[in-house]
Amino acid sequence: MNESQPTPYEPKIVAFLCKWCSSAGSDLAGVSRIQYPANATPITVMCSGSVSPQYILSAFYKGADGVLVSGCHIGDCHYLEGNYYARRKLFLVNEMLQFIGIEPERFRMSWVSAAEGTKFAKVVKDFVEDLRHLGPQDKLKAQRP
Amino acid sequence: MIKLQDIKNRARELLANGEVRAVIGYRNGSRGMAAEPAVIADPNDAANIVWNPSCVHNLALYLVDDRKRLTRKQETPTKPIAIMAKGCDARAIVVLLQENYFKREDVYILGVSCETTGMLDEHKLEQLKIRPDQFTAVEFDGDDFVLIKDAETQQRFPAREIMADRCLECRNPFPKLNNAVFGEEKARNLAAPFSALMQFEQNATQNTRWDFWQHQFERCIRCSACRSVCPMCYCEECIVDSITYSVMPDTTAEEKANRIRWIERSATRANNIGYHLTRALHLAGRCIDCGECERVCPVRIPLRLLNTKLERDARERFGYEPGASVEVASFVSSFRDNDPGNFIR
Amino acid sequence: MEKILNKIQLSDWIAALDGWESFAPILQDGIWSYQPIKRGVNSVQLEYPNTTQPPKNFTFPQREVFFTFEQIKGEAPRLTQILPTDKPRVIFGVRPCDGQALPRMDRLFNEQFADIYYQKRRENLAYVGLACNTPPSRNCFCKAVGGSPFATNGLDILMTDLGDRYLVTAVTAIGDRLIDHGVQLFSEPTGRDRAEAGQLRIAALKQPQRAIQESATVPKRLKEQFASPLWEELARPCIGCGICTYLCPTCHCFDINDEVATPAPLRGSRIRTWDTCQFPDFTMHSSGHNPRTEVGARLRQRINHKLQYFYENFGMFQCTGCGRCISGCPVGIDIIAVVNQVTATPEN
Repeated sequence: MNESQPTPYEPKIVAFLCKWCSSAGSDLAGVSRIQYPANATPITVMCSGSVSPQYILSAFYKGADGVLVSGCHIGDCHYLEGNYYARRKLFLVNEMLQFIGIEPERFRMSWVSAAEGTKFAKVVKDFVEDLRHLGPQDKLKAQRP
Repeated sequence: MIKLQDIKNRARELLANGEVRAVIGYRNGSRGMAAEPAVIADPNDAANIVWNPSCVHNLALYLVDDRKRLTRKQETPTKPIAIMAKGCDARAIVVLLQENYFKREDVYILGVSCETTGMLDEHKLEQLKIRPDQFTAVEFDGDDFVLIKDAETQQRFPAREIMADRCLECRNPFPKLNNAVFGEEKARNLAAPFSALMQFEQNATQNTRWDFWQHQFERCIRCSACRSVCPMCYCEECIVDSITYSVMPDTTAEEKANRIRWIERSATRANNIGYHLTRALHLAGRCIDCGECERVCPVRIPLRLLNTKLERDARERFGYEPGASVEVASFVSSFRDNDPGNFIR
Repeated sequence: MEKILNKIQLSDWIAALDGWESFAPILQDGIWSYQPIKRGVNSVQLEYPNTTQPPKNFTFPQREVFFTFEQIKGEAPRLTQILPTDKPRVIFGVRPCDGQALPRMDRLFNEQFADIYYQKRRENLAYVGLACNTPPSRNCFCKAVGGSPFATNGLDILMTDLGDRYLVTAVTAIGDRLIDHGVQLFSEPTGRDRAEAGQLRIAALKQPQRAIQESATVPKRLKEQFASPLWEELARPCIGCGICTYLCPTCHCFDINDEVATPAPLRGSRIRTWDTCQFPDFTMHSSGHNPRTEVGARLRQRINHKLQYFYENFGMFQCTGCGRCISGCPVGIDIIAVVNQVTATPEN
């Protein structure tokens, strides 16, 4: 056994999942026994439209290497319009992060329906792989102490 | 060219016949040539009103201040308050009206057009070794010049050399929303809108952007002047402060320690980024680029870059123009079917 | 000890200060600020007005970590004190008004109530001052508050600019040591050097500065005008930004917060940050009552603290006349104009 082998870097993802679609989709992936990396910490929100830019910045502040926001497909929002607002607001968050030089791959949005367990698994798997190349996030992370 | 006396007369009239309870305007500062904001209640004090290239302040801020005072005193005014408003200031008032901060009839707008010459940038004056306190007056001189006078001499400058960047880039120096307007609507084609932003993007590649911004955010001392001077940052409790937390006798130490603190007071890079990005995002579609935030920053952080970046996105990607119309819904509370969504997987 | 140093050898002297971290004013990002001097990389010159921010940060930083805490549930919390471990630091080019700030801060943080964080930083800090042959700022008023452009309070060395050379005058034992480090670079002052410095000093004292009228009786007159309606009127444009206090060499109000890193096990740090009496919520009580809701009260508080309360407690003005609050105020509120107007008597 090679004792000097470092443990491979495992990116930490915080995933804001809307309860009605994406969170259900992640459940479906689970009951279907689809294998996918366990790097994402899911946080269920009522609607992708309720995700404030503050949540995303806060996740990075607390050390997340990647942040995912996932909601219902356009037209399918449980609250009719919430995901339209998410699309607009999170576009801006995405632009702002890139504008100051944060790697574009760290923030991601997806539409995953309750029936798309496979898609959810793929979204997370792709995200983990892309983040592995970037290494740990330290630009927005809190300075401790 | 605007006749200052016309503005003074109108202000005095409004106060004397009781049509307004006060006039928010500009008067000479305590020393030198720079103007300062003033709230005038006595008709005789209308004689102190000035209008010159040092009238840089966005007076819409004092409309917000006025509202807060009324709330604290639990007063309901029976008369409107008047305000001298440049093009940008009037657009700020539009945003406040969009958001129902007050009603249209609560404010009497004395629109003042900057015409072809905008406001001075004191930093640019400093480069030319002009110290505002050494001079007694500054005036518009025709369409393209500014006169700076002291007791004996006067100097004439091409306005474009000493004008603030945001004035150079201004699309419309004319206050469209007004109850009365002084000066004409004239085009000002000195610099393309978003020039400073484009300059930054040319100089900073994706790789060097972080070096630039990291350095800027390290320097911030969290004086919050940018927030304090912005008329649109009117929240009684800013999300950055998170100070209000209801404490009952049985609130545990753990609960207090764990209360939501989105951003700490420490001026560390990560906290400062949180503060500035949150503020910029909260201003998306609302910032009308009066440039005051950048002007007041004591450490000269180029804040306009953050706000104009989102303004450009609002205009070019979403067809939204901040401060254009009171009836239109705010930017983040509206959407179009064809909003860009290619970034979504 | 008093020596002469040629200006071109200033950087050599700094390079000779082994064991010290040196700072000097540098123009960067459009403002003057104290930056670390990397030996051999930066050449230092001290032709400059004054820094935007005072050197307050060296003894009283915006963020000071007091201790870290950790608590496993059921056990007593473990606290680990974090004391400053600054290397000895020497700051070049400090103006006498900024030097004067140290005795004021010492009264509060280094005497009856000793603040170990301040103390640790203070004992590792040396100021090499630069006398003001002409007022560096359009808003200087050190003379009005008991200071002078050649004052040495708080400084370890005072340098006088004689054109192509400095007269370097040690004020403290640390000043002597700093000179000793570069002893080979210095020469003895001649009678002419001393005469020139003397003349510059006399000329400097005659340079016009802004003035507080009858400053000797200002504390008493401010006390008499506590209820004056002028406070509210003069403070009306104030936007409550905090620039005046943050740029002030002696303002030191602070907030203490626990920054929690993880809730369970509970881990975090207790941190002191700058606060300002100019924020509307500064005096907000947990009951919801706020005794200073109006700008007039807040402006009055700051001015009285600087020119009345501190004087009554310690026999000196807390304000050192640097003028930064005037230069920095975005709406032109001017402490001198305010004090003169509020305390104006019919005669003046």
